[in-house]
Amino acid sequence: MDDLFSALSASSSGMEAQSRRLRFVSENIANADTPGYRRKLAVFEAVVQGGGRDTVQVRTGPVRLDRSELASIYDPGHPLADETGRYLGSNVDLVIEIADAREAQRSYEANLKMFDQARQMTRSLFELLRR
Amino acid sequence: MDIRSVQAARQYAETSQAIAPRAQAQNGPDVAAMARDFAATLKAGEETALSAMTGGADPQSLVLALAQADLAVQTAVTVRDKVVEAYQEILRMPV
Repeated sequence: MDDLFSALSASSSGMEAQSRRLRFVSENIANADTPGYRRKLAVFEAVVQGGGRDTVQVRTGPVRLDRSELASIYDPGHPLADETGRYLGSNVDLVIEIADAREAQRSYEANLKMFDQARQMTRSLFELLRR
Repeated sequence: MDIRSVQAARQYAETSQAIAPRAQAQNGPDVAAMARDFAATLKAGEETALSAMTGGADPQSLVLALAQADLAVQTAVTVRDKVVEAYQEILRMPV
């Protein structure tokens, strides 16, 4: 019985982590045109909760910034442009972000499925008891 | 150092009282603890619902708290039904 409730809380923590990841993706996409913006990456880490029962949950750790090179954009009219007419844009790649968003969505759905599964198992146990 | 040892002695005295075996050993499950657990689950569900309404909690924890409260209520109702059924069975017994 406790295991089913632990499954509920574990998949809830998974959903929370994936929604934070999706938040980072939307922040990256929103700042795709901001000069000097580095894309945020979600870092997942395992959390052990509860003294004896040891439920392993997941959470997102501190934000990590992508250290890859910023894109050099040619635009002589831009206020930040140097003498060669170039300025540093963001290192956000929309294709990567969309793929990341889709992955977050699928993981969220998987966690949701597990949540529903654990709830249905508990429910059917009660149905059996009620007869 | 002195204060610490005095505190330690007092703590030990308190702890030894708390962990001393009780006069009447309890047999079977602790029903009072189960009821307290049930009430705590319901209370947590209500508090999470309240903070979700005011923007303090995220929807995932709201769904989790509501599902746990729902399952706790179902457990209580099922057990109550079984107990009442057993009691009525005894009442109907021809003496």
